[in-house]
Amino acid sequence: MKAMLVVIFSWEYPPRIVGQLASYVKDLAVHLVKNDVKTYVVTYHDFLTGQYDEEGGVRTYRVTNPVRTHIGVLTWVLTLNQNVERVTANIYYDAVKRLDVIDVHDWHFIPAAVTLKKGLNIPFVYSVESLEEHRSHGANSPFNMAIKSIEWLGMFEAAKLVVKSDWMRDEAYRLYKVPLEKVKVISPEVAKSTKSVLEVYGSTVGGTLSK
Amino acid sequence: MMGEISVMMLTWEFPPRIIGGISPHVYNLSRSLAKNGTKVYVVTCDFPGAPAHEVVDGVEVFRIDSYKNPSPDFATWVYLMNVNMQKEAAAIVNSLDRKIDIIHAHDWLVANAGIGLKHVFRKPLIATIHSTEIGRRNGIHFDYERMIHETEAWLTYEAWKVICCSNYMVSHVQWAFGLPPDKLVMIPNGVATEPYAKTDSEDLRSFRSKFAMPEEKIILFVGRLVYEKGVQVLVNAIPKVLEKTNAKFVIVGNGYMKEQLTGIIKGLGLGHKVVFTGFIDDETLRRLQKCADVSVVPSLFEPFGIVALEAMAAKSPVVVSDSGGLSEIVEHDVTGVKVYVNHPDSLAWGITRVLLDSGYANWIRSNAYARVQEKYNWNRIAQQTKSIYQSVLGEYSKSFWA
Repeated sequence: MKAMLVVIFSWEYPPRIVGQLASYVKDLAVHLVKNDVKTYVVTYHDFLTGQYDEEGGVRTYRVTNPVRTHIGVLTWVLTLNQNVERVTANIYYDAVKRLDVIDVHDWHFIPAAVTLKKGLNIPFVYSVESLEEHRSHGANSPFNMAIKSIEWLGMFEAAKLVVKSDWMRDEAYRLYKVPLEKVKVISPEVAKSTKSVLEVYGSTVGGTLSK
Repeated sequence: MMGEISVMMLTWEFPPRIIGGISPHVYNLSRSLAKNGTKVYVVTCDFPGAPAHEVVDGVEVFRIDSYKNPSPDFATWVYLMNVNMQKEAAAIVNSLDRKIDIIHAHDWLVANAGIGLKHVFRKPLIATIHSTEIGRRNGIHFDYERMIHETEAWLTYEAWKVICCSNYMVSHVQWAFGLPPDKLVMIPNGVATEPYAKTDSEDLRSFRSKFAMPEEKIILFVGRLVYEKGVQVLVNAIPKVLEKTNAKFVIVGNGYMKEQLTGIIKGLGLGHKVVFTGFIDDETLRRLQKCADVSVVPSLFEPFGIVALEAMAAKSPVVVSDSGGLSEIVEHDVTGVKVYVNHPDSLAWGITRVLLDSGYANWIRSNAYARVQEKYNWNRIAQQTKSIYQSVLGEYSKSFWA
């Protein structure tokens, strides 16, 4: 059995810590490596780190934004996505055109995940840490609407949705009408064993775990 | 070396969606490339009533769902639209067994999609830069403008070759983004003469009488009524022209300067000598251009100056300011008259020179028409573009991506 090839997208990853997501993703990546999954992380690089490292067996690529000046987080994110695509495509071609699954954490890199799915048939899992509806307390300006539309796109195109609580599963259903059978609840504690995460990965079209 | 080349054109506008000059450019380029044995897929924004997929003159056109929620601002809309464009284009390329040879992007408006597709499919990207933010705004003053400027820079950085429509734009783009000279290619913009020839036999007397008295010469301006197009220079030249000859000034287009200009004209007591038509359809515009005794293009900044070429195709003598792309299109005293930039007296001199000497007017009229047919015809432009595709693919075939 070939080792499974997984790429994790996260806009924060240690040493760049913005919220809770960074250490959660790092934990997940380390545990995946321990379970013989070939694990890549693609994240943002803010000059405190190099462009690539392999700490603890996690192959981490850090991309910069090709457009330096921005008017908000939305334009910043939307121009960063092409470099996420570039790095991920490089992983794919170097692995002789193979990648089993992309695990995208929160909305930032959903555009890249969707393009890679449409273009190279790489399925993705959308792991929800939080949703714009809750972050913005129901505000619905064009800015919030744009982020919600990206979250919707992610839920629509994802092979599976991973959420961290039953409450979030119900919210995803309430806000975006995601079919419940598409949603898997995995609490952060359980995720550490990686068993249920690997089951989700394996259930996607490109997953090789069952083979 | 290879069979039929296939190219994916990315453009934010394609007929019937017409906002500026990119739409007719991509339309004419694509169908001329198709005639020259290139397979062209156009991916563009949707438009009410236009089908999501159709074949137009041998070109496959895909109209994608552009972002339709309210947007914080234009640039953010562009980036959001690119999310959809890239997604749809990636699916199209995949459905074609990824057999696309070249991705050709027009302006920063499709930069993200073009760059993303380049890396996802590892195909060469070619960019045509029609205009720049730094040129449009006469400098970069705000973060919003700098963001667009840097997006343009990013597109030119990622492109294998950058095509510009005039030598002026080549040097401007090279300066604006610090590009190596061998990355830039000049291929002129073109004008289709057939639509003008169609109405050659038509009697335009009654049409003309809607705009001017029979004894009045028609002086035509076509363009947005904005500062960079220099319409105010023409308005300031009106009294000087009327000292010498009887004429009607027909001003086609809209813009923020309209009210100010009508105010000036009223103040001069010349309201009866000027007609503002607003935006008019192509058919009416072509007839008007054919009726015009002189067409004036007094731009202060002009990347190319397609409106001068259109006048030349309509066999209307042109008077242009000696700026940007106009300087290259017009050869002084041969295919038109060049006057000083932002100089009403010089402009009035140029206009009266044409209007008072019909022999001279006919001379530049016929020279200009011959020049248009020889240098600015779409068939020739398509061949030049195709040879750029071939040379890029030749280089690409030796790269590790091939």
